[in-house]
Amino acid sequence: MAATATGLGFAPAIAVFPLVAFVITLVFGRHLPKKGALPGILATAGSLVISLVMFAAVAGGATYHTMLYEWTSGAATSETMAEGIEFTFGILIDPLSALMLVIVSLVALLVHVFSLGYMNAEGETGLRRYYAELGLFTFSMLAFVFADNLLMAFMFFELVGLCSYLLIGFWFRTESAPSAAKKAFLVTRFGDYFFLIGVVAIAATFGTVGFAGEESFVTAAETAIDDGATLFGFDAQTWVTITGLLVLGGVLGKSAQFPFHTWLPDAMEGPTTVSALIHAATMVAAGVYLVARMFGYYALSPTALTIIAFVGGFTALFAATMAVVKDDIKQVLAYSTISQYGYMMLGLGVGGYVAGVFHLMNHAFFKALLFLGAGAVIILMHHEQDMWEMGGLKDKAPVTYYTFLAGALALAGIVPFSGFWSKDEVLFDALAVGLEQPVILAAYAMGLLAVFFTGFYTFRMVFLTFHGDPRSEAAEDPHSVGWAVKVPLLALGTLAAVAGFVNLAPVAELLHADITFLEFWLDGEYGAVDGLTYHAYHETVAFEEGGIGSETTTMLLSAGLSLGLALAGAFTAHTLYNVPEPSRHTTKLGGAYRVLKSNYYQDEYQVWLAEGLMLPLARAADRFDQTVIDGVVNGISTISLFGSDRLKRIQTGIVTNYAALLVGGFIGLLLVLGYLGGWFA
Amino acid sequence: MTVDVQYYVLLSMAVFCIGLFGVLTRRNALLFLMSVELMLNAANINLIAFAFYHGNLTGQLFALFTMALAAAEVAVGLGIILVLYRNFRDVDVTVPTTMRW
Repeated sequence: MAATATGLGFAPAIAVFPLVAFVITLVFGRHLPKKGALPGILATAGSLVISLVMFAAVAGGATYHTMLYEWTSGAATSETMAEGIEFTFGILIDPLSALMLVIVSLVALLVHVFSLGYMNAEGETGLRRYYAELGLFTFSMLAFVFADNLLMAFMFFELVGLCSYLLIGFWFRTESAPSAAKKAFLVTRFGDYFFLIGVVAIAATFGTVGFAGEESFVTAAETAIDDGATLFGFDAQTWVTITGLLVLGGVLGKSAQFPFHTWLPDAMEGPTTVSALIHAATMVAAGVYLVARMFGYYALSPTALTIIAFVGGFTALFAATMAVVKDDIKQVLAYSTISQYGYMMLGLGVGGYVAGVFHLMNHAFFKALLFLGAGAVIILMHHEQDMWEMGGLKDKAPVTYYTFLAGALALAGIVPFSGFWSKDEVLFDALAVGLEQPVILAAYAMGLLAVFFTGFYTFRMVFLTFHGDPRSEAAEDPHSVGWAVKVPLLALGTLAAVAGFVNLAPVAELLHADITFLEFWLDGEYGAVDGLTYHAYHETVAFEEGGIGSETTTMLLSAGLSLGLALAGAFTAHTLYNVPEPSRHTTKLGGAYRVLKSNYYQDEYQVWLAEGLMLPLARAADRFDQTVIDGVVNGISTISLFGSDRLKRIQTGIVTNYAALLVGGFIGLLLVLGYLGGWFA
Repeated sequence: MTVDVQYYVLLSMAVFCIGLFGVLTRRNALLFLMSVELMLNAANINLIAFAFYHGNLTGQLFALFTMALAAAEVAVGLGIILVLYRNFRDVDVTVPTTMRW
């Protein structure tokens, strides 16, 4: 392939730019203007340009798959009898990664620009560290996105987790930020533990960790299932399910899916810009992206897919209900993120690869927008985050208001904003499969119900923040925001409004027009790596699809249902909160309010698991170690010490005694040898 | 007339046993050294007797080596005894037991 001609040979630079920015900022940040923001902005802009070149190249039919560096290789024979295994660093540019590279570098660039207004203008200290960490974060995510094998993906997955830890704990002098950072690190690490076992299991089973091509573990797994092979005592299908679920552990941790979602709301302790980056394009997106990246593998196992779909649907509803009672604007957004990633998991879990990726893309835009909008609101409000202290910002900050509104409409899924098209497609795919599969129907039902809550909490947030009368002095007299805040908001606001048009599936169905561009894109109409296309995945997924009447009726019914519920939610919020003096209305919820406010006691039971179960277990293990293991070791040494203490007494220091022992020993030896030789017989 | 080899062996054994007795019972380091000389000379008698018995000069040759060795050993031994005396004001071998453990 003519890599140089299409510019694909520049692919490594996408990740190298932010890495260079990281080093420059770390070393020279103190002396740079803007405390090191400029290298980051230039680097992410460079990454964006090259990502767009990649995107154009893939659109022109080219793909890029190359090995950059070989760590190590060995001659071990795997379970499927593949000879030899290599661990490498490589780059895979295909439609999915090209799309994701553009999203990540774009959001990273806008977050860097926004940081000028959010961090620099507010006179924060430690900005050199901040920008250096942002650079490292962007680098890790970009390298994760173009990784061509599971081990490399795992390494950068971990690096992404580390960077989130650093950035969430940016204000490490406060009490809550370091604790939130530790929680994020530990909870995601718990999931990554399973991921690591999954990587080892896949490597040991198939002798390869590659994502693409004939040498990939996906192809090897498919062959093993077709041959009816037995892997480690399981039949191939079961083993694929087990390893897939192990990898899924990492995904659930990073993408904050139930029950590993507890770290994400706490992660709001970091700067709002960091939240935007984490939620839209990096940390949390990494999990879902990994599922999409190795979708061919999950497609082989209907059980794993069903679990993904069910966890996704459940999380979508679960998190949406918690968002309803939050007072902090960032907390609402945090729970909405968990909920939206639930939708993506639901979409991917029912085999809707396009729907899941579509929602991932739209969510990246509108969630980055909402978080940056929330950041702007926080600037306006002199660092107040409680929505009950806001109100009436609509007329005082029109740019923030209208862009935030665009993001909110997209999040709630109101036509024609981007979120509607992707969420509708997820729900349609779930319904189609659900009509044949009761478990998935339940997941669909939860997802559908969550639409109502999404509409409700989104507009509750909008109305409380921007509508009504100002409820505090800060809201009466908001701080002004500069161009560095407005430009990213406008860019993302436009994208949140129009990004959905790349895949107007319902319209295409009605008009019989070929306008589902994202589907074509992911299906390799323009360019793709063999086997990594929507078509190939769709053939592998074993789900039957049903319909109510014709496909068009089903689609319209699904779209109408979700739109109706979203509008109902928004309307409920409108009647309750879009009044000059809104009240909390929490008493109407009764006992449910306490449960929701306490986040279903998820933190409590996890702390109980740690303190009530794991701590005594660890203590018992410690006691076993201290007494039994150490006891054996100490006992042996005591016996040896005691014995030698007795034995050394035969050394008297008197030469005569030694001579007597020598003679006695010689005579004894002589007698024994003589006896054995038959003298006394 | 020649003496039978067994008388030499008996003589050698007697001399050796006298030496061994000295080593096991005496406390004076000088007597120790003398006893060791006796045991070495008992071995020499044996070597020469058997060399004569076999008509082979190798044994006699080794007896000469042994004498040289004994002379060297006496030199070292006397040196040790001198140092012993300087340190302990005595040549009693039961006194210097401090180097045991």
